[in-house]
Amino acid sequence: MTRLTIDLSIIIGGPQGGGVESAGQIALKVFTLKGYNIIGTREYHSNIMGAHSYFHIRASSDTPRALRLPVDSLVAIDAESVLTHVNDVAKGSIVVYDVGSINQDASTLAPMEHSLKKRLEKMFSERGARPTVGEAIKLLEERGARTLDLPLKELLRKVSEETGSPLASIARTVNIMGLSAALYALGVEFPYIVKAVEAQFGKRPKILAPNIAAARIAVEYTHEKYGARNPLPDGPHKGRVRMIVTGNEVVAMAKIVGGLTFESFYPITPSSDEAHYIEENKYLDVGDVFRDVGLDKLSIVTLQTEDEIAAIGMALGAALTGARASTTTSGPGFSLMNEFISMAVEAEIPIVISLWMRAGPSTGIATRTGQQDLLHAIFSGHGDTPKIVVASGDHVEAFYDAIKAMNWAEKFQIPVIHLLDKYLASTSVSLDEWDVDPSLVEIDRGKRVYGPVKDYKRYEITEDGVSPIAPLGFNTMIINSLEHDEYGFVSEDPIDREAMVLKRVRKVETISKSIPETEKALLHGDPDAKVTIVSFGSTKQAILSAMEELYREGVKVNFLQVRVLSPFPRDLVSKVLAGAEKIVGVEANATGQLSFLIRAHTGYSVGHVIQKLNARPLYDIDVVYGVKRIIESGVERVVVNSGS
Amino acid sequence: MARRWLDYKTGAWVQWCPGCGDFGILNSIYGALAELDIDPTNLVVVGGIGCSSRSVYYIKGNNVHTIHGRAIPIASGIKLANPELTVIVTGGDGDLLGIGGGHFTALGRRNIDIAIFIYDNAVYGLTKGQAGPTLPLWARTKALAYPNIQGSVNPLLLAFAAGYTFIARGYAYHVNQLKGLVKAAIQHKGSAVVDILQPCPTYNDFMTQEWYEKRIYYLNEEDPTWDPVIRSPEDMKVKAPRILEKMLETGDRIPLGIFFQDLTKDTMEERLEKAMPGYLRTPPAKRPIDVKGRITLHPFKIFKDKLLET
Repeated sequence: MTRLTIDLSIIIGGPQGGGVESAGQIALKVFTLKGYNIIGTREYHSNIMGAHSYFHIRASSDTPRALRLPVDSLVAIDAESVLTHVNDVAKGSIVVYDVGSINQDASTLAPMEHSLKKRLEKMFSERGARPTVGEAIKLLEERGARTLDLPLKELLRKVSEETGSPLASIARTVNIMGLSAALYALGVEFPYIVKAVEAQFGKRPKILAPNIAAARIAVEYTHEKYGARNPLPDGPHKGRVRMIVTGNEVVAMAKIVGGLTFESFYPITPSSDEAHYIEENKYLDVGDVFRDVGLDKLSIVTLQTEDEIAAIGMALGAALTGARASTTTSGPGFSLMNEFISMAVEAEIPIVISLWMRAGPSTGIATRTGQQDLLHAIFSGHGDTPKIVVASGDHVEAFYDAIKAMNWAEKFQIPVIHLLDKYLASTSVSLDEWDVDPSLVEIDRGKRVYGPVKDYKRYEITEDGVSPIAPLGFNTMIINSLEHDEYGFVSEDPIDREAMVLKRVRKVETISKSIPETEKALLHGDPDAKVTIVSFGSTKQAILSAMEELYREGVKVNFLQVRVLSPFPRDLVSKVLAGAEKIVGVEANATGQLSFLIRAHTGYSVGHVIQKLNARPLYDIDVVYGVKRIIESGVERVVVNSGS
Repeated sequence: MARRWLDYKTGAWVQWCPGCGDFGILNSIYGALAELDIDPTNLVVVGGIGCSSRSVYYIKGNNVHTIHGRAIPIASGIKLANPELTVIVTGGDGDLLGIGGGHFTALGRRNIDIAIFIYDNAVYGLTKGQAGPTLPLWARTKALAYPNIQGSVNPLLLAFAAGYTFIARGYAYHVNQLKGLVKAAIQHKGSAVVDILQPCPTYNDFMTQEWYEKRIYYLNEEDPTWDPVIRSPEDMKVKAPRILEKMLETGDRIPLGIFFQDLTKDTMEERLEKAMPGYLRTPPAKRPIDVKGRITLHPFKIFKDKLLET
């Protein structure tokens, strides 16, 4: 029996700070409650209030690996959302908009980007029209969209009358109205909407009542005007407890369950939410788990520092005492951390740095995604500074990698940079209990010695390059950022110097041998395929999704996902690339940073690249398009550019 | 048996220039540690980069030689992760007030129980005598091609504004008096700073021993009623004007001694204990994180705010 596949994508747009985020979360909850898997991401400007932001979600009975364009529904309760996403909508989709916005013209929308206004002017002038909401709606209808015009002002007044709340205090419920109308039109029954709204606002009854009323009034209006819809069938994932979690949160959770006791950070998008979630859970009731050691609460010191230099510095200090410590940042903050990364290598201090990449260079676009810091991470720190760099492909990988990163840091007494990005940071997915099972990973703290050691040598020369590590407080010793002898005492002696350099490099060999091959790189798909995609990080799921589509179209590709980028898995990558006829790199950077590494380490040239440079997430359609163009034309570089 | 100062001396060759003020400071620290009977295995000396920061090699402890300007963040992380350790920072005026000035002010806000000893000679010695942040405007030391065109920072006022709860100034060649200040700073619960004036006989030919000794005097010798201790908000109102007046006194007369000691503020460690009772018993360095190597916490059991029953 073939199962009915449901696959729905929605964009909910609106001004920043106006409730779009809540509406997006509610949409994710609705579909999760209905038994679907979800993925949803938030795209926003570096702005507190007023600029256009949107929530893009996809719900599927299968695994929605990546966001999908065009969407099946656009909830555009303000003019900017209608006009911004006019080209993101599929035939037959449902577009919800505000009747009151019909005459608004792009040129009068203050927050809208100037360049977008110009593009809209041009696009509509070719139709002999102005870029107004009305004209956009007309265009959408011509393209086969079903439009749903809500008289928001009127409906809002009704909510106010019913709940007794003043109009101004319930203005944000317009998002819920738009969303509820769209959901109802897609066949979602009203009780699911209520349940999701309750789950979202449950703890705040004053917000809950007007939102429920708003949802009901919008649904009633939709029903009256457009009639009953065929109900959306329940998805296959009903009847169990599920988790909806962002990348920021899943990394925070991993750190907490993985034994983090100290995190220092400086606020920077898109890393802050990770630290905030740790802070929210810094004093955790854990019941019986640690009863034997007399603990019923787990405390984690989380501290906002004066800058990123202090953020990593404090974490390093904490690590010296034996605490499991980490910090979290993005590109600009990581730049400031460079000198301390170098010290962590020289002084052999365990430290995990979660590096949430965003679009640079410099401040660039602080709230948008990119993969431009791969080489920065690998080459961070002056001097010869071997380190571990691991890039996670999705939420599940991010969870396990965050725990492993802490193990590796302590085991090899080295900085571990966990590469993530803004896309993962603000993308939510639905997970099951078995997706994030920490019992699959052990806590390994390496060669740790507690208590006094006779003639203790902090930097004892060993075969594997790793010395026994004693936390401060049991012996006397020197931890040194200067070159030193085995005791840590400063030394410029040529023999000492050479021995220490070689010791630190030997650690790299030890690391390479210790980390299982399957964790370093993964070959997805048919090993015999002639086209091999190589990529790293959060492009994973979009590529896997594109591979499915390409396979349906008869194009066979496989995908080598490089997970550990330092030390680079040279032999493994060489082996895969030796059999490839065409190598296609997929990266969200312009300089081909992974291609550079592959060439440097293996000698293989990545002959073709698909690059995403517009600071928006990579979509599967980007990859499908890029691969086909490369196969058809042999072109070296394809710049793909989906996303608004 | 009580410890003696020799118990803190390491076998390392002390590589400072003859006559360097650092020797006096080092001896004061030895003396203070001995009188406080601090166990070297429980002591952490954190140094930045510079002549003074090399003290980490000369004092027995669990010491950390960090990077330029960053001793305070490392020391803060150490103390917060293991509050049972005695943590002191040794650094120069360039290290602590120049490149590390941001961390210096941030520590005052936190009031972590750390003692900061500024080896203040107004020059960068190891890099051959450039102007330090405490070198007066228009002063010209021998390594400078022209007189200094940057003004000097007042470490005491900076510390006061930042929120340090113990502020003192000493003089490197007065080992005995300095020992008393070092001892008081270590004993003080909270962020303590001792600005230690010291001649640099090699590079500072302007602020010499003679120059200092013509100007310095002790607050409690000149005024036996001098009382810098703040025990209440009322005390602060009454005593602050006189304290600030003394901190501002520069030029021909330079006061030494304890300027300010605020007993009314919680340390960061106490604040953390308030926020998370049990923190002091199992701070980050000591809290169990696993049960026999196993992770026993499952996200679905503890992060219930993210769960949804379908």
